Formats: sequence, structure tokens, C-alpha cells
Amino acid sequence: MTTRPPGLIYAVDDQPPLAILAVSALQHIALMAITLIFPIIVAREANLSRTQFLDLVSLSMLGLGVANICFCLRLRLIGSGYLCGAAYTAIFLGPSLFALQQGGLPLVFGMTVVGGLVQVAIAPLLRRLRALLPSEIAGLVIAVVGLTLAGLGVRYGLGIDAQQQKINPEYVIVAGVSLVTMTVLNVWSKGYGKMFCVLIGMTVGYAVSAARGMFDPAAIIPEGGLSIVRVPQLQHMGLSFDPVLIAPFAVAALAATLRAMGDVSNAQRINDADWVRPNFASLAGGVMANGVAVMFCGLVGSSGINTYSSSIGLSGATGVTSRSVGYAIGLGFCVLAFVPPVAVALAAMPLPVMGAALFFTAAFVFTSGLQMITARMLDARKTLVIGFSFAMAIVADLYHEALMEMPIVLQPIFGNSLVLGTVCAVVLNLLMRIGVRQQVSLKLAPGGINRDAVERFLTEQGARWAARRDIMQRAIFGVVQLLEVVGDPPGGVEVEASFDEFNLDIRIRYVGVPLTIPDRRPTPKEILESEHGETLLAGYLLRQSADSISASGDDGFVEMILHYDH
Amino acid sequence: MNALSIGQTRAGNVCIVTLTGRIDSTSASDVMAELTRLISSGEKSILVDLGAVLYLTSAAFRALLVATNEAERRAAKLALCNLAGHVRELFEMGGLLDVFAIHNSRDEALKQLAGPHA
Repeated sequence: MTTRPPGLIYAVDDQPPLAILAVSALQHIALMAITLIFPIIVAREANLSRTQFLDLVSLSMLGLGVANICFCLRLRLIGSGYLCGAAYTAIFLGPSLFALQQGGLPLVFGMTVVGGLVQVAIAPLLRRLRALLPSEIAGLVIAVVGLTLAGLGVRYGLGIDAQQQKINPEYVIVAGVSLVTMTVLNVWSKGYGKMFCVLIGMTVGYAVSAARGMFDPAAIIPEGGLSIVRVPQLQHMGLSFDPVLIAPFAVAALAATLRAMGDVSNAQRINDADWVRPNFASLAGGVMANGVAVMFCGLVGSSGINTYSSSIGLSGATGVTSRSVGYAIGLGFCVLAFVPPVAVALAAMPLPVMGAALFFTAAFVFTSGLQMITARMLDARKTLVIGFSFAMAIVADLYHEALMEMPIVLQPIFGNSLVLGTVCAVVLNLLMRIGVRQQVSLKLAPGGINRDAVERFLTEQGARWAARRDIMQRAIFGVVQLLEVVGDPPGGVEVEASFDEFNLDIRIRYVGVPLTIPDRRPTPKEILESEHGETLLAGYLLRQSADSISASGDDGFVEMILHYDH
Repeated sequence: MNALSIGQTRAGNVCIVTLTGRIDSTSASDVMAELTRLISSGEKSILVDLGAVLYLTSAAFRALLVATNEAERRAAKLALCNLAGHVRELFEMGGLLDVFAIHNSRDEALKQLAGPHA
């Protein structure tokens, strides 16, 4: 069961009115269209003709359409079941440009298909891989994506590029007006203004750009002119493969998988006020959808696709998370792929408008990532995993030139902040597991049971396991409450805790009598009248706070087991 | 580690008792003693702020019940406020939300308590 958050206007299963559906979809389409920049970068590097270039943009839109529908599906094997937008990603950009150098566009497309296959292979194993890909790492990936989007937004918004490290005042004006519009509408308006803040901000940005001569779609129109409707051709298409490139594309696929896991978890969280852990069927379906979509994009001649954190940030910001919006987005992109003027308008989107939209949504993405990280208890090991990986992700951007001096095979890893951060986190997480026991025990000597020691023991162990805070809090209460009733048994008490990402079990052993676990709450009168009433309340509280409780005893040796789902 | 501390302030006629830390069997008797002392001394409106309490066990619930009972017996009012997170969960789990006079915030509680005895 999920609890609908009060801020949602249209939740995942709601059906918004047609007008709201259309404008919401349009808003997402505008936001997602920004990411066409990634296949466009590859196309520009490949020196395609204007017609081929436009075909690639149109086919990339078709890829976006199929991907959006795949992500929203609620089938057994494919689809997250949530409004989980799709977008082209910088994750595959490094490996794609590398493949372009090595073997041209056919190699880019062929290896993109391989990347998709890797995700399809990972999807059914997600549950088993959970210990290796815990949610704090997914949170880290989301936070890094947020930072990357913000960085890209600032670059586009200020008009800075590799050749010209100077701020362009014209860009600042357009980006500033656009960003202020989005922010003001989001924070200080209600209803349509809040719901469509990004679309309105981008429209204002287009208008200001046009007024200042910064919107020039004519530069993209093919030599032979532009028809209103056209079936995009596959002239630039071809497929080839190279085993050397499997490693960088597999790493990119892993990073994309983690991002998809984080994004789908985020979509689940936005739709459930009581969200505490991801639904793995939905995660696996999302990753499978991602793999299928990546393969489709490779097969139609575009680059790698992923879930879109900005789109999920947008749905959270506007309160419209209806799955129907996802289908509308998919359908919209599929139709628009056959309308070349739209491809021209989107491909000619002014950079500062892109910058403002990216920077705005990055704020929601980044904070979502941080929330996912801090939901877990973090000890020194986990802190180092998160801290080092986060730092390495930033280092990849700060010292990009120096890191590109690495051996050519490692460049796709070190050249991309998200890939480097993800690889670091996964590897460090594996290393830091060395020496972490999944079962620990504490012996409490008779003569005054030390509850502080129990609290400290469980708190430290919870952080070592990166267990959920709320679960450890319940477990600490359970043990302290039980010890309170047990008192000071002659042979002392042994507290044993075991953890495996899904379960936390606490076994408490002592010599004495098992605690009575009543089915009904004792009345206030019973509690007041005797200590027995208080003991009954203790048993009742324990039954309610643990997911299951059992007691067994033999010759006075008692073992009480408190089980918590994790 | 998180031993209980008991603070006391006044807001008009209301005596506010602020509890900080955990309340278990070792500290519940202190809470009960303090609350019954206040009631015996003639306080007619007592507000117990649980905002800084980490958790409370059955002994603490009993202490609060005894104090509430004593307050009723002496025609005084005893209310609780600021139940948050895990503490509120424990009241819910124990089915004890209806047994006490509980207010979301200190301000809301003060408005209620100030009434008849003001």
C-alpha cells in the first residue's frame, strides 16, 4: 500500500483532464528535447549532411518516444509503472565519441546496442545484486547527475564553451529571464503556473532569444528545403562491433542502470509519502525498459538513452506524476519524429534556454539524491565510499584534461564524472565490505544490564551495515524494551544481530521465562493497576513494533527473536 | 548515552515540563515523581513536551498514565505535545493516542490549557 503525498495534484494512477495531460506532456517534451544535444554532438562530430543530421534528430525523437512508453509500462518484465521520463545521456557520450574515432557511426550504434544488452542482462539480477548496488550508491549517482546537469546548465546559460572561456552577457540575459520565470512560478504561484513553470520559462526564453537574434532555425534547414511531414531515413545507419569497446560501454550501461534505479526509486518516493525502500519489481522493469530502449536507439541510429532525473524532478515540482503523462510524452515524440519542422525547432533551441531549464531541474535532482543517501546510517566505511566517489566525480570535471592523459582504454571511465563516480562507488563498496560481519553479538554481564552499551552496539552496527535509520531505531527500542522486562537474569543476556539487506534479526538469549506477547492491548486500567499490566503493554508494543516476534524456551533458556523487514 | 533530562518553564498559568532523551524504566520513576509533585503542589495545568524524547518504553507510558490519573483526581489538566517521528509511532502502536490529551504543538496546547483555569 502507498500513501498519497498531500502535494500531488495528479498521482501516478490518476487520469488528468485532456488539456492538463497535453500541456504537461508538452512541458516534459520541451525538457527532454534539451538532451537531444547528446546525439546532436555525435552527429556533428560525424560531419553528417544537413538531411542526414535532421534524420538523426528525428530518429532520436522516435527513440525518446519508444523509451518513454517502455519506462511507463506496467508489464511483468518491462516498465517501471511510473511517470519516469527518458532522455539522452552524457553517460554514453564518452564511449560513443571514442567509438566514433575508432570506427565511425556504425561502431557507435553497434556498441550502443551492446550497452542495451548489458542492461537487459542485469535487470533480472537486480535483487541479487542489491548488496553491491545499495540505495545510498543510487542516491550518489542521482546527486552526481544533479551536479552534472547544474554544471551543464551553467555552461549553456553563461555561453561558455571549450573555445571561449568567457561569459556571454546576451546568454546571461536570456538564461536569467528564463530561470527567474521558472523559479517565481514554481515557488510563488499555484495551479497552472506551478504545473507548467518550466514550459512557460522556456517559452519566455525562446521569445527573448528571438527578440535578441539568438534563435536561428534557418541554419539547420536542409539544402533541399523542409517538408511538413516526412518519414526519417536510415541513410546514416550501419552496425559494427569491437570487443575492445565492450568495457567502456558495459561501464556506461552499469552507470545508466544505477541512475535508472535511483530515478525509479525517486519516482516511487514522490508517489508515496511513506516510501522507505524501493520496489524491486518496478526497478527491474525500469532497467529492462532502459536496456530495450537503448537497443532500439542503437538500431535506429541514435545514441544511448537513460531515465531522466530532470523529468522526475519536474513531476515532483509540479505535482503531476500521472503515468498517462508518460504515455502522452511517448506518443508525442513518436508523432513529432515525422514532423521535420519540430526537429528543426528543437535542434535550434537556444543554449541559454537549455541552460536555465537544466539548472532549474538540477536543484530537485541533487536534493533527491542527497535524501536517498542520508536515509541510511553511514559509518566511516560508507562515508568514505560516498565521500571519495563524490569527490572523484567532481575531480573528473575539474581535471578533465589531465585525466584524459590516461591509457586510451581507461579514458571513457576517467573522462566522465558520472562513470568515474559510479565505478569508484561500486569498487569501494565492494572493498569496504571486507571485514564487515553480517552477524554480531554482544554479551551483557549480570549485575545491572547496560542499556547504553546495547544502544551503542546497535547504532554502530547499523551504520556499518548502512541500515535504514528508522529500522535501527525500532530495533533499539525493541531490545531496550525487552531488556527492561527481562530485568537482570542470573547468567546475563546475549544480544545477537544479523543483517542481509532484506532482514534484520535480533536474537536475545537469557535464563528465565519468555515474555508474554499479548494479542490485544491491555486497557489503561490494567496498565495502571499493576506491573503485570505494564509488562503486557511491553509485550504488545514489541509485537506492534517488530515485523514478527517469537519466543522459544527450553529448561529455562529463552531465545526471543525480533524480526524487522529491511 | 541518551539519559533523560527534565526541564521546567512557565507560560502564564501553565507549567511546561520538557523531557529530553529516552524514558525507560530507570528514568520513568523520575518523570512520575516530578509530575505527581507538581500536581500535589497545586498546579492546575501541566504540559509535557515530548519533542526531544528519543523513545519511551512501557514504563514511561505507565508513568504518564499514573500522572494523568492523578491530575484528573485533583481536577488538574495534564496534556502532551510535540509527539514526533518514532515517539508518535510508539503511541500509535500502543493504541494510546486517545488515552492522553495530545496536541501537535506547544502553542496549540497552551491555547487549550490556558482556557478554563486562566
